Amino acid sequence: MAANSRRFFDEIAVGEEYESPGRTVTETDIVIFAGLSGDYNVLHTDAEFMKGSIFGERIAHGLLGMAMQSGLLSRAMHPYAILASAGIRWKFKGPIKIGDTIRVRARVAAKRETSKPDRGLITLERKVLNQRDEVVQEGETDLLVECRP
Amino acid sequence: MTGSPTSHRAYFEDVKIGESVETPALTVTEAHISLYHGLTDDRGNPSSGVPDLLPLCLSTGLGWRLNRAPLAVLAFMSVDWHIERPLQAGDTIRSRARAVAKRSLREGGVLIEEHEIVNQHGEAVQHGRFTFLIAKRPPSSS
Repeated sequence: MAANSRRFFDEIAVGEEYESPGRTVTETDIVIFAGLSGDYNVLHTDAEFMKGSIFGERIAHGLLGMAMQSGLLSRAMHPYAILASAGIRWKFKGPIKIGDTIRVRARVAAKRETSKPDRGLITLERKVLNQRDEVVQEGETDLLVECRP
Repeated sequence: MTGSPTSHRAYFEDVKIGESVETPALTVTEAHISLYHGLTDDRGNPSSGVPDLLPLCLSTGLGWRLNRAPLAVLAFMSVDWHIERPLQAGDTIRSRARAVAKRSLREGGVLIEEHEIVNQHGEAVQHGRFTFLIAKRPPSSS
């Protein structure tokens, strides 16, 4: 399969699984994300305050983990012919701390035809795991994917 | 937690159900997209200029620009999110949020908020629900 080939709705099978490489989440990642998003919550930016929290230290923004897993998964699969993302149902199960290494495991959970004949809906189930294989985030994403022309 | 600026935070008890807020606006630029790509490696959907998760990330920061004490969030628990239409660089977004439900627990409380991101035409581009765990007011601060 050519590197730039995109997979159509018809070619994707329920049950397909993907596993990404790992990525170590650094303090720099968190600082840059705070600067980009403008979310300077003490959870992510105040090391002294967080010593007294249930986490004991700063944690990554949940949405940073979510965005990173999206990038990681794209390195583990041939791209779908995506027209749009439609929905996300996502749970933040545990903290991602500085130095943790995350990876994502995904599975095609469902395929559904839509009212338009040129596209279908693919639901991907995703789990974000840390270096201890603990699930730190999990959820489902719905993607509208082109049918083969 | 001595020395922490507890008086500048809003607690679970302070949240009023039904109260809605609207943030200032932000123009999404190529610079935001480039920074997001470099940081996350999430190329998103190539047919849409702005990666789908970027407006969601930017909207969390917009909430911090409201002239009110920030909520003492202990943890972000979940998000249920719908993407209605794509954004392009140059579009200007703002976010509306409304507390819809809260439930007290022994340690803190669960808060559910409805969020909506609108563009410069007033069209909803993304919307959904956030669930947070919020700290209760410590006995020492009032």
